[in-house]
Amino acid sequence: MANIQQISITHLSFTYQHDTNTVLHDINVSAPLNSIIGIIGNHNAGKTTLCRVLAGIIPNMMGGDLLGDVHIGNLSPTKDWSVLNRQTDFVLQDPNSQLSGLADTVADEIAFDLLNHGVDETTIQRRVADVAAQMQLTAQLQQSPSSLSGGQLQRLAIATAIVTKPGILILDDPTSEMDPQGRADFFNWLATIKDTTIFIVSNEIDDLCEIADRLWVLVDGELVRKGTSLEVINQLNPEWQIGTPKVYQLAKLMYWSLGADLFPVNINQLRGCVHDQHSN
Amino acid sequence: MTSIQIDGLKYQYPTSDFKLAIDQLTITENLVAIAGQNGAGKSTLFKLLTGLVHPQAGEIHINHRDLASLTPEDRLKTIGIVFQDPSSQLFNATVEKEVAWSVLQVETDAAVVADTVNDALATVGLTELKDKNPFDLSMPEKKLLSIATVLAVNPQIYLFDEPMISLDWPSQQLVTHLMQHLAEEKHQVIAITHDMNWLAATFAKVDVLADGQVIFEGKPETFFGDSALTQKTGLMTPRIMQIAQEVFDDSRVYLTPEDYFEKHSEKR
Ligand SMILES: Nc1ncnc2c1ncn2[C@@H]1O[C@H](COP(=O)(O)OP(=O)(O)OP(=O)(O)O)[C@@H](O)[C@H]1O
Ligand SMILES: [Mg+2]
Repeated sequence: MANIQQISITHLSFTYQHDTNTVLHDINVSAPLNSIIGIIGNHNAGKTTLCRVLAGIIPNMMGGDLLGDVHIGNLSPTKDWSVLNRQTDFVLQDPNSQLSGLADTVADEIAFDLLNHGVDETTIQRRVADVAAQMQLTAQLQQSPSSLSGGQLQRLAIATAIVTKPGILILDDPTSEMDPQGRADFFNWLATIKDTTIFIVSNEIDDLCEIADRLWVLVDGELVRKGTSLEVINQLNPEWQIGTPKVYQLAKLMYWSLGADLFPVNINQLRGCVHDQHSN
Repeated sequence: MTSIQIDGLKYQYPTSDFKLAIDQLTITENLVAIAGQNGAGKSTLFKLLTGLVHPQAGEIHINHRDLASLTPEDRLKTIGIVFQDPSSQLFNATVEKEVAWSVLQVETDAAVVADTVNDALATVGLTELKDKNPFDLSMPEKKLLSIATVLAVNPQIYLFDEPMISLDWPSQQLVTHLMQHLAEEKHQVIAITHDMNWLAATFAKVDVLADGQVIFEGKPETFFGDSALTQKTGLMTPRIMQIAQEVFDDSRVYLTPEDYFEKHSEKR
């Protein structure tokens, strides 16, 4: 029976239609609901495919051979898609493909989903203004989405997803084109939101180690590591060629360990470990 | 030695309030980074440098020749661009044809074209995908393919608009080495990036844009050492400097963890 407080994936395997390669191999993992899960791995490891399964896009909009079971709380993306879909928003890796194509202005694009949810006009205006301010798009609200810079477009893609305050947020490399301050603001904001289950694929390993409750590592479609960022980063196999956070690189160079060859992966851990060494 | 000289450049899009205005900018180094907030005008500057978009005022000289006076073929051989959005650059039926199309703009000998295409695809590691449709590629693969299309033409000057977007660690290493190699071979390589760690580790020169203007030209060390300027441009220091600041209250300039290690290991 599904545990209503858990995300659980059991024996998940997937192969795209008209293809022979298995993209996801027998994935088994669980995590508490409302946590932030960072998904890392190299090209073609299956990160985007896993996002599509979590969002129910596979198998509801893209076909293939899906085995196993996925539950987010008591809902299954495969079986309860229409219910789940209303609570879920997905930021795609390519922001160009995210646009509705139906809005003449950035403001209308952000309002689009709220209109579909039947939200009243005053609330819509307020939400659009708030989210635009948060994503620093206020000056662009009357511009056409097609005339935005790359980073502005990515900010818009995020704005359209978070404006409905979804209970499940799936983010596929959402900050790749954002400027450093914008990226930092976004990760800081992610860490503050409550009652939301967040899956985030990102190459920003430093930021993930600051905010993620769990990291999942995919290598060639297999989930090879899962756990806290401290556990996972300390147990990466060099053959996987996955980038590590700067805190960890520095701590290894300086030999600031947390004991037993365990090195810090975020600023708090580093602070703790340096403090301990100095007081010894 | 290539040089880019910009004078009195002004550009405005018909449908936005943004204004690019560069009084004077000279780029002579072989490996240069361009940084700045979203919407600062970085990609607009690149479009002007390719000659595909024309300024409302001002001039761009490349090796002392007016960009506007170059023939299309000369222009392709002089300056090539990897666009920020790789999809906007791709339109052929297969990966192989995509690269061949680029080569055919500057080369007619079929055997040379075939060799050039093979080399370019091998360099970015896409040989196995040569029969795929570019639109079926993932984001990072599209980016690598658009790099291959420019490599195949091998212009004097390479413009990379955010080459690292979505690339995984091995591909980032590959592209970095490729850019360093091109710079050593006397090409000029200019890259737009938001990755301050990569910028600090890889480039000796950075031009920073803010609101359509150049507000810094010089060494990354100098830029990151001026915290007021770094803040004003909406950029941030490399992660290693944030770590030193937050954990040790140390506001000195460090470019990489290795740099920190070297500066501290003598004393220990
Ligand atoms: N085709 C266009 N029509 C109208 N305005 C545009 C167009 N392209 C860009 N702009 C505007 O010009 C400004 C500069 O855009 P540009 O693409 O040069 O920024 P950028 O520095 O490359 O930003 P990013 O880091 O987000 O890629 C932005 O405010 C943008 O909205
Ligand atoms: Mg740009």
